[in-house]
Amino acid sequence: MTAQDTGERRRTSDARPVITDLMDEGTILAVAEEAWVSLVGEEEVLVPLAGELPADVVSSWVDVVGPWTGSVVLTTGQATAEALSRALLREAAPEVLEPEDVEDAFGEIANVVGGSVKAALPGPSGLSLPQVGHAPLVRNPVDVCRVDVLWRGEPLTISVQGALPPLPASH
Amino acid sequence: MRALVIDDSRAMRRIVTGILTDLGYEVRDAGHGGEGLDVLNEGWVPDLATIDWNMPVMDGLQFVSAVRSNPAWRRMTMMMVTSESEHTQIVRALAAGAHEYMIKPFTADAFRDKLALLGLLPQEVAL
Repeated sequence: MTAQDTGERRRTSDARPVITDLMDEGTILAVAEEAWVSLVGEEEVLVPLAGELPADVVSSWVDVVGPWTGSVVLTTGQATAEALSRALLREAAPEVLEPEDVEDAFGEIANVVGGSVKAALPGPSGLSLPQVGHAPLVRNPVDVCRVDVLWRGEPLTISVQGALPPLPASH
Repeated sequence: MRALVIDDSRAMRRIVTGILTDLGYEVRDAGHGGEGLDVLNEGWVPDLATIDWNMPVMDGLQFVSAVRSNPAWRRMTMMMVTSESEHTQIVRALAAGAHEYMIKPFTADAFRDKLALLGLLPQEVAL
């Protein structure tokens, strides 16, 4: 019997990868832990437990553009973002943190985590400058890999999320 | 010894400056490659420049190329300090004239090891 070419295989291989095809939560957690030890402090621990984010959340993110296109987004409460910034700046932290200090430091953490995530993805890919504000919308719920952690008891999420809507079903 | 730290993140500039100052370096910093060139054009030529890749106005690769085009700055050692870790990016930076490549995140010990490799640890620290 001769197998018919139904196109199924071709369609499968041509499909755009979603992030869960490319990495798992463990990879994201490992990347974040390495960034934390280096940037925030050697004694700083991320506990892989979910917590309830407060109402006043802030996000920092970088965009990755390449075979997989999306964003690496860190989201936490404003007070936690400030504490992170102080930890990052250590003795160089000013007595009163300006919003720009928080944007800069929280953005740099996203930059470092995003760079490491990009390194784990197929390339070549480009990395944007970090942004801080309201997180980009999730365009495809299937194209998301998210890790919930606690830092100093406060909740923080790291989401690697695709920027493109789902492909139309092929029939 | 002198070092010029070029990074668009003030937080990262403070971290790198802290490491270098602890090692005895005299440090100046710049927020992008253009500001880095301004420092060099003042006549303040460092032994070492640490350079981020992704920056507004003038990125790290453009800065490296500009420095390499001026023979007066030839003795300056340039180390990329960046979250860009793809092999092709590293090759591009080295081809443009960077001497060493440090991938973020890094620890102070790893940074010091790179300086030792480059022969840029101040003598009293290296002993």
